[in-house]
Amino acid sequence: MDELEYCRTLRIETSTLQMWVEERWIIPVGSPDAFSYEDADVARGRLILDLIGSMGVNDAGIDVVIDLVDQLHSLRERMRLLMDAIATQDIAVQNALGRALNRG
Amino acid sequence: MANPYETLGVAKGASQKEIQTAYRKLAKKLHPDLNPGDAASEEKFKAASAAYAILGDEDKRAKFDRGEIDETGAGQQQRSYYRDYAADQASGARYHNAGGFADFGDRDDIFSSFFSGARSRGNASYQGGDLQYRLEVSLREAANGGKRTVSLPEGGTLELKIPAGVRDGQILRLRGKGAPGHNDGPAGDALIEIHVLPDRQFSLEGDDVRTEVPISIREAVLGAKVEVPTLSGAVFLSVPPNSSTGKTLRLKGKGFPNKHGGHGDQYVVLKIVLQGTPDAELNEFMTNWEAGKSHDPRRT
Repeated sequence: MDELEYCRTLRIETSTLQMWVEERWIIPVGSPDAFSYEDADVARGRLILDLIGSMGVNDAGIDVVIDLVDQLHSLRERMRLLMDAIATQDIAVQNALGRALNRG
Repeated sequence: MANPYETLGVAKGASQKEIQTAYRKLAKKLHPDLNPGDAASEEKFKAASAAYAILGDEDKRAKFDRGEIDETGAGQQQRSYYRDYAADQASGARYHNAGGFADFGDRDDIFSSFFSGARSRGNASYQGGDLQYRLEVSLREAANGGKRTVSLPEGGTLELKIPAGVRDGQILRLRGKGAPGHNDGPAGDALIEIHVLPDRQFSLEGDDVRTEVPISIREAVLGAKVEVPTLSGAVFLSVPPNSSTGKTLRLKGKGFPNKHGGHGDQYVVLKIVLQGTPDAELNEFMTNWEAGKSHDPRRT
């Protein structure tokens, strides 16, 4: 969807979206003269609105939260790959890993 | 659905402010995007939001208290959360942030590339980063523009066209000259910050430039045509007879390029300079010069 449709979906002003993009809370696809937004960006926008509205977080706080949320998802992605890799190992290796982790 | 007062954990007589505070506390704890791995958080967050939709609104709360609406009174729209998309290759890559584990990549073991991201996310492609450089140019180069071949710290060179009229601090963007993209993604941009070096001859004041030009005492008294440097090469300028040090002459359109496609002006400040060695003839003339004896420039 384009900028206008995005703003209409979330009921926000264009200037608000521009601020989000400048802060890199939202990273649209495409070039600046024809940005487009996906469902993931809408869901992210809803999270930002929840942070502002339901949780009373200010702009500086949103910056911190968004950054940590992105770190968390990237970590989860790495963890998922790691778990997938472990699942393909020989059962003896899996058991050894399980024992080592339980000791830690 | 449970009683909304119980859901939010507030007393029936709680103030609106207390209800808001209780809801904010729950929202921060239960929001699905702040608990990406907890499937149950979505239901709990929904329940808290539904409760707040009634109690957060004084009218609805009053209706609920009078029994006119029940706890399902405020319909909740079905919605999706960012966590549902974050694992998606394409959108996840755009928001990828390795800040939480980049240091694991420094370990000298077989997992280092896994954490440093060298073995990157599947086959998602994304744009390379922007690279920043700083380039020093002379004032004349800034005024006239030109081409420069810049050697990059990481090897290789960059052909750079400096536009005429570039200003100190201005950033030139070279599309696609930054870090290469990942998996056939587009390369980032090179951002070059221009630093205009101060000039010994010219000082810049807005769009205008100022130069000091030395003239002889003869030229000062009798007037002369003198050669004056400008940013775009030397020109001849008439010094009127009887010019003092500090007299300022204007060369229209010989200044720095301005925003409107024209140029500022150049101001030429005259400075009388005597010969290095005293001259007997001039000494004799000055000694016998009657009008010169009574002229006191500090007293006019």
